[in-house]
Amino acid sequence: MELNYPGLGLKCGLEIHQQLEGKKLFCNCPTLNSDKEADIKVERKLKAVAGERGEIDIAAQHEVLKNKKFIYEGNSEDVCLIETDEEPPHELNKNSLETVLKVALLLNAKIIDEIQVMRKTVIDGSNVSGFQRTALIAMDGFIDTPQGKVSIPTICLEEEAAQKLENRKDFVRYRLDRLGIPLIEIATGTEIKNPEHAKEVAAHIGMVLRSVEGIKRGLGTIRQDVNISITDGARTEIKGFQDLRSIPKVIEYEVKRQSDSIEKGKKLSKEVRKAEQDFTTSFLRPMPGAHRLYPETDVLPVNINKKHLEELKKKLPKLLSHKTEEFEKKYNLPNHLAKEIMANENFETLVKKFSKLEPLTIASILVNLPKEIKTRFNLDSSKLTENDFEEVLSYLNEGKLAKEAVLELLIKKVKNEKIDLTHFESVSDEDLENDIRKIISEKPNLNIGAYMGLVMAKHRGKVEGKKIMDILKKYMG
Amino acid sequence: MMPELGDTVKVIAKDGVYEGILMPRPEILEKGYTVIKLDNGYNVGIEDSKIEKIELIGKHKKPEAVKYKKVEIKKNLPTVSILSFGGTISSKIDYKTGGVYADYTAEDFIQMLPELENVANLRAEKVMGIMSEDLAPEDWQLMAKRIAKELNDDEVSGVVVTQGTDTLHFSTAAMSFFLKNLNKPVVFTAAQRSIDRGSSDAFFNLLCAVNAAAKFDGAAVVTCMHGTSDDHYCILNRGTKVRKMHTSRRDAFRPINELPLAKIDESGKIEILNNNYAKRNECKVAVNDKFESKTALVYVYPGIDADIFDIYIKKKYKGIVIAGTGLGHIPTFNPKHSLIKKIKELAENGIPVVISPQAIYGRVHPYVYTNLRKLSMELSCIFAEDMLPEVAYIKLGWALGHASKPEEIKKMMLTNYAGEITERSDEKSFLY
Repeated sequence: MELNYPGLGLKCGLEIHQQLEGKKLFCNCPTLNSDKEADIKVERKLKAVAGERGEIDIAAQHEVLKNKKFIYEGNSEDVCLIETDEEPPHELNKNSLETVLKVALLLNAKIIDEIQVMRKTVIDGSNVSGFQRTALIAMDGFIDTPQGKVSIPTICLEEEAAQKLENRKDFVRYRLDRLGIPLIEIATGTEIKNPEHAKEVAAHIGMVLRSVEGIKRGLGTIRQDVNISITDGARTEIKGFQDLRSIPKVIEYEVKRQSDSIEKGKKLSKEVRKAEQDFTTSFLRPMPGAHRLYPETDVLPVNINKKHLEELKKKLPKLLSHKTEEFEKKYNLPNHLAKEIMANENFETLVKKFSKLEPLTIASILVNLPKEIKTRFNLDSSKLTENDFEEVLSYLNEGKLAKEAVLELLIKKVKNEKIDLTHFESVSDEDLENDIRKIISEKPNLNIGAYMGLVMAKHRGKVEGKKIMDILKKYMG
Repeated sequence: MMPELGDTVKVIAKDGVYEGILMPRPEILEKGYTVIKLDNGYNVGIEDSKIEKIELIGKHKKPEAVKYKKVEIKKNLPTVSILSFGGTISSKIDYKTGGVYADYTAEDFIQMLPELENVANLRAEKVMGIMSEDLAPEDWQLMAKRIAKELNDDEVSGVVVTQGTDTLHFSTAAMSFFLKNLNKPVVFTAAQRSIDRGSSDAFFNLLCAVNAAAKFDGAAVVTCMHGTSDDHYCILNRGTKVRKMHTSRRDAFRPINELPLAKIDESGKIEILNNNYAKRNECKVAVNDKFESKTALVYVYPGIDADIFDIYIKKKYKGIVIAGTGLGHIPTFNPKHSLIKKIKELAENGIPVVISPQAIYGRVHPYVYTNLRKLSMELSCIFAEDMLPEVAYIKLGWALGHASKPEEIKKMMLTNYAGEITERSDEKSFLY
């Protein structure tokens, strides 16, 4: 039975965390998230420190009372003295800022004039420094969804935390390689109406993020946290969703858990819970009190240049959702190919440039062939450059090459072998027909498959198989 | 009423309304922005040109002063004096400049580090609150007098001195020469990370330092800072054989040309690594703190202009330490860059020249090369063995404060007063 969410007083908001490509937010380490054997190991302790007003916040104390030692490990290919808290941060990564500005504009948000980097006190050890560097970049954004408008009160740029490897009574072990990767944090308002809506909102924001260059893709690069409460319940933050499809069920179960407890007269407390495989949630920790934020004085504030912002607005990337449909129609592409080719920024230029080729041909060369080279031939197709593709497409466009030869040519490129075009030169229809006639007369009474084999052996990669078959059929009736 | 810093305000701007606490903005930054701390804790800068009005919503309420618990004296514990001279270890944020400034007093340390209560009965005094780069010879003189007063108090087992890291090794060198007949440990400690963060090294360093002042059996001026990047142990380095060797790491203070005297951890466990130090005794400490302020330290480099020494002659400097290249070289043969003529002039003016190694590690040598012989034999420069350039500078200023004849100065410079000269070059001490 569908729960009556408005009746239960559901309040639901999302927090989306998205990692960025490039370098780390406050140092020049690459964002590899290396999994090589650790060659850096540091052990530290954290102290609860009093705020400006002399108080220590409750959650911080809770963590400290555990009296834990923190063991940090990492590989030096993406960990430097900044991650180990042995060097002050460098200036805020300009490329990351640029990316988050684009995202913020796509989310209709108001950009802050002067960005102030803050230290958010985090005392669970996931930040070696004892705080996470974070900056509010934009406010008051919104998205339109079929179920209504959802506000985006804040968009922040912050450091990714270290990855927890082991949690023991007296120590916690962290991996440092992830620490400092730039992270966009997008918080929605609580206008989300029901569990299905939450999934839609998460999907929409994910789509907006993927529309912008510089976003990391792949497992663990985007995380969704869901905040839920119902009337007489307590705010729960749910972390660790495996994928978007599980969001509605988890929310439904959490609402049920809360309403059941209320019925039984149990008092609920604010807590952080983990989404499990079976859509239930389990207790992680009490909800931390309001984090103390104070200025990161080692980093200067960043003034946002108004002119630059106007220019960014003019050339904002198109949203993927608009592009997919547009691409499908405009270039007559199947949906899955349209979706993938949108990630390739050169596609449209190439379509214009090589007007004799079908957009479908270009798209499948750009999308499918690299995959085939990787899976079927076990070669590193990421070695192929834009120039390689352009070169091959130009041969194809000029008729110097048959479609069938493209794969072989690209493989040669990957292997860094010399390209001899004469080897691939396509055969004119007339020559081909003469050749086929000759083969049939030399070796009569074979079946069509055998002839096909003979012709292909001679012209592999130069002629389309279909064309050969057509001619053969013509002569063999 | 005009809103003041700390007040809750509503900023009405062309693009919307911002509500929050009016925050100070570092004065050195570009003008034209107003900073507000929003409800969610974030600070944002709003361009002044788009602000139409700032309305006062609530006046700033001064937070209640934190009441400190009175520390009870425990009869079975030794007494340690903590003298604070400023630096990162006692810093918090200065909103005006955005940097950190010295503010906390020694009493605050006790509040922040309750573990200290079980190590020693503490006496604490904030003598001054400045960053270490601003410390000057007259501050060292005050420092020596204050430390001596504590050392000569029978109740006190040892003294902890906190100050900034930058010139910590200058201070320890100065105290090593200024304090005569040392009877107890004088333990200098500091922090590379400010005390407002949970990861500050101040806590660990201070805990180890108080333990060292209470328990270390040496009568020596030492530094007590992280031995490694881990919070495992601190090392006690002799005040004349230690140098800040990294701008920012916790374990920046390394022993030079000898092993650390000891390792010490936060439980107070001491492991002696180098037993070559004077032990605790019943002497009364005297202060010999005269210091010739017209003492200079000059770093030699290829292309150096000999004329820069003219200013020292003109300003009547009394002594110069040269940090020479390699074994103690200065440009000699190229007439355009040779310093020989100038060094001769310094000698004629009665200005002693001390040669120390800019290589930091190792010993200078007066005879290996012809150029060195020229310096040592013709110009009678003083080759200061394996004394660090900074230590040689402090020692020369101190020697000039107490003597004036060149031969007396030379004799003092080559006399080992506080372990500043090692007799044997320890094979294991390089890059320790």
